[in-house]
Amino acid sequence: MFVCPDRYEVIVIGGGHAGCEAALAAAKLGARTLLLTQSLDTIAQMSCNPSIGGIAKGQIVREIDALGGAMGRVTDISSLHYHLLNTGKGPAVHSPRVQCDKKIYQFTFKHFLEKQLNLDIMQDEAAQVCTDDKGVCGVRTVRDTFYHTRSVILTTGTFLAGTIHIGTVMTPGGRYNDMPSNALSKNLREELKLNIARFKTGTPMRINARNLEFDKFRPQPSDNPPWTMSHFTDLDEIAHKNFGQCYITHTTLKTDKILRDNFMRSALYGGNIHSQGPRYCPSVEDKIKKFPEVTSHPLFLEPEGFYTEEYYIQGFSTSMPEDVQRALIASVPGLEKCSITRPGYAVEYDYSDPKDLFPSLQHKAVPGLFLAGQINGTTGYEEAGGQGLIAGINAAHYVQGKEPFVLRRDEAYIGVLIDDLVNKGVNEPYRMFTSRAEYRILLRNDNADLRLTPYGLKLGLVDAKYQKPFENYKHLCEDLCEGKTPKADLDLGPWRAENAQRYADVQHKYAGYFERNKKDAQKLADLDNIKIPAGFDPAAVRGLLFESAQKLREVQPQTLGQASRIPGVTPADMQLLAIHIERFRKLKNAQKTH
Amino acid sequence: MQTDTICALASGPANGAVAIVRLSGPQALEILNRTVARARAWEPRRQTFCTLLDGAEVLDKALVTYFAAPHSFTGQDVVEFAIHGSPYIKGRLLELLCAYGARPARRGEFSERAFLNGKLDLVEAQGICDVIAAGNKAAHQVAMNQLGGKLSARLQEIKTHLTELLAQIEVRLDDVDEEMTPLTDDFITTRTREVIHHLKTLADTFCVGKLIKDGLKVALVGVPNSGKSSLLNALVGFDRAIVTDTAGTTRDTVEETLDVNGQKIILTDTAGIREHAVDIAEQEGMHRSVRAMEKADVIVWVTDGSLGVSEAEKALWAQIQSQHKRTIVVRNKTDKTPVLLDLPAEVKGAQVIDVSCKTGQGVDTLKAALTQELNAAQSEDGLLISNLRHYEALVKAQTELEEGLLKLDQGGEVIAEHIRGALSHLKELIGEVTPDEILGVIFSSFCMGK
Repeated sequence: MFVCPDRYEVIVIGGGHAGCEAALAAAKLGARTLLLTQSLDTIAQMSCNPSIGGIAKGQIVREIDALGGAMGRVTDISSLHYHLLNTGKGPAVHSPRVQCDKKIYQFTFKHFLEKQLNLDIMQDEAAQVCTDDKGVCGVRTVRDTFYHTRSVILTTGTFLAGTIHIGTVMTPGGRYNDMPSNALSKNLREELKLNIARFKTGTPMRINARNLEFDKFRPQPSDNPPWTMSHFTDLDEIAHKNFGQCYITHTTLKTDKILRDNFMRSALYGGNIHSQGPRYCPSVEDKIKKFPEVTSHPLFLEPEGFYTEEYYIQGFSTSMPEDVQRALIASVPGLEKCSITRPGYAVEYDYSDPKDLFPSLQHKAVPGLFLAGQINGTTGYEEAGGQGLIAGINAAHYVQGKEPFVLRRDEAYIGVLIDDLVNKGVNEPYRMFTSRAEYRILLRNDNADLRLTPYGLKLGLVDAKYQKPFENYKHLCEDLCEGKTPKADLDLGPWRAENAQRYADVQHKYAGYFERNKKDAQKLADLDNIKIPAGFDPAAVRGLLFESAQKLREVQPQTLGQASRIPGVTPADMQLLAIHIERFRKLKNAQKTH
Repeated sequence: MQTDTICALASGPANGAVAIVRLSGPQALEILNRTVARARAWEPRRQTFCTLLDGAEVLDKALVTYFAAPHSFTGQDVVEFAIHGSPYIKGRLLELLCAYGARPARRGEFSERAFLNGKLDLVEAQGICDVIAAGNKAAHQVAMNQLGGKLSARLQEIKTHLTELLAQIEVRLDDVDEEMTPLTDDFITTRTREVIHHLKTLADTFCVGKLIKDGLKVALVGVPNSGKSSLLNALVGFDRAIVTDTAGTTRDTVEETLDVNGQKIILTDTAGIREHAVDIAEQEGMHRSVRAMEKADVIVWVTDGSLGVSEAEKALWAQIQSQHKRTIVVRNKTDKTPVLLDLPAEVKGAQVIDVSCKTGQGVDTLKAALTQELNAAQSEDGLLISNLRHYEALVKAQTELEEGLLKLDQGGEVIAEHIRGALSHLKELIGEVTPDEILGVIFSSFCMGK
């Protein structure tokens, strides 16, 4: 065994969307960080759709960006098509989505990592997270190299004991043509004793666009005037781009029949897949089975890059055998003559019960072990990126002896995401929706910077040079909201005056609702300020309902607010907890004085 | 945690001569000043005799004491109202305080605040916990028991309606493919109105909402000359407590509002009309009686005890029975014959009270029987406030939805705010409706893309 002489403080296992944000954040906060990944050539690979953002997801990207994460910037650099979704509805649900060139995206991200101070990248596969009585102490790789570290961030995506299904053919793989991490899966299950279960997800086939009949599609051009995903991108930077185009088509009765005739040959219905897949992103065979009355489903053609004819077919995710996939393509108007370049497939993988995590994303049973992304039962690049960022910050804080950084539900979708995961757990791959946010009017894409950039600056993730321009922009927004004449000639840096005006207009539209959301949120924040002291066992409180006591023991909430969000905990339970916490505190104080 | 202002009956649910209503929280003083006839600077811990008003209407004369924080039971600003112990006045005052921004306290909440503010010691704290725990169990038990009941069925209906409507709206807000047809204003209005209707019906079944606020509706029925008018006069006149004398909405009945020991009773009688229209056919009289009975909470059948039961009265009795309401039989004119004739066999089992309007014999017994109805309704689960809390929740949810309907043009996310608001008011009644439940409805009814 080779013992690496470099002593790391944070090791990130996995170089996907969670791992990349985690590694950048930890390193930026001054932690000596190592990113371990099987292959440097697939860093930040977009394994499924070629776009970043979407409903509620776009808000998450804006939040990552406002906090100082990289996803938004990398998106703008690799962008080939911009579309603000939901513009027919109110601004609280407007969601940015950007089609990206997949290759530019991943190489840009890799370049970001390479340039980052305090961050090393190594192409190797982690096989074992090593622990001693204090928690995490190192990582051993399949090459039998040992790295010292005090904290590990697991961002394994779909790679833990990944199995790929195309029809009845099953192959080991974390992504098509990439090997799964089986040694690490065994280590997590058997040595670290994590509560591991399996989820399933899938991806559609890719096609060559050479023979597409574009006149049969409804085109979807890029938005004009252009906008940027990142708060820090100069509009001129993307204005010169030659944007690509997306197209809309649909399935037919013929598609329907092919699927019906071949149900039993799909991995999903043939009996090979037993794990739960996401209900909101069903495979096309799922759609036919569950919604037999719908005879035509929309399909979206999205280009995979500037320098390729490959297109992604959104809405056509399938685990049917290859011959059926060919027939399916031929049944769609405009696709009849084109050929498949890569078949769609389903993948099954390990995830770990997120109820075992603190809101910092640290595992309750293994000090120094953090988990982010699909290993926590989520799906989506954006959900992964958001968790990666928080795990990166908190791993750095952990080794530096600082308080964990936790976002509340009224501050960010990232807060909603993590709060849901750790308090409610998951029973299907978790995707963000605006309906999951009770403070939807507060959590908008047009105010992500005002909500979170102060944190980004304070943490040190956002460059200090943006401090002054941000404050100027903030004052501009406030002035406009109050109807004052704003000061002229302020240095706004990358921020733009027209966005401040739009923000003010939106605030005006939602005036009463914004205040109401704020007021409700304050009540929750008050509860979150009441910490459940160390040594206090909420489940031992006399008089709690049996079910509540059980759930409290399972989740081990850290604040009274967190306890209140555990499903099934009643207001009376909360009263009892409040009294007992105060009682516990008084008894402790009394003991101290004696 | 303690930022809102809470109120509750501090003297227990039993009806004494005097009741204490307590108000605690930062808004206590402000609410007090809105409740009394004359706002003033209150000297702490000094009892003040003052008039409590609901708008222009005098609610009661009360002794009011203000305790300034932290020198109070809870450590917060506290106001105690010593009022007359009638359930009607108690209920009205609590409702009024809630209308001005207080909310009904949960069981043990005053003591909880007292403890958290350092006003009680550790031993006392355990006592409070026992009280809360008992309430928790009881409420849980009630919730469990309700699962099979009529109330629960209606609550479930409300929950299903609201959840489905919200899901319909939410799914469009989260519609990734932007392919779904928008909901029409008509659809949202119809569905919301349905829920509002359910909420209203349910609110009306609560005794505090209906009986205490509006009074107990009593229909006096009987064939002509059975003595309904004299009974009415005996009930009303004897007490010298006529509040109003208003014509009923149907114009062919007379309503008398009566205050018996602080409880409001509305007597509906067809007698007044009868005297003006002597020649109206008996058939018509029957119609009126039926209408009065339909609106009533309690039916009082007046029959002349000195005569036998006629065929017409037998027909009337059948009508009364078809109403399935609590019925009291009054055998009138006990002064005329010392020996009363027997009632028909099928009447046996109903509560029978012998009354002489002339001598006043039995009138008090009748009144007690009527007020007993109100008392019984209130002491269900032993707590007045628990009913009030539910009533408040239902009314607030209703208001929330009404407001939502006025904002239809503002977009789905705004209407959703109102429906979410309504659901959060109803939390205690129907349980929390979580995003997972909404998504459950969405996923089972709609095909959602990535």
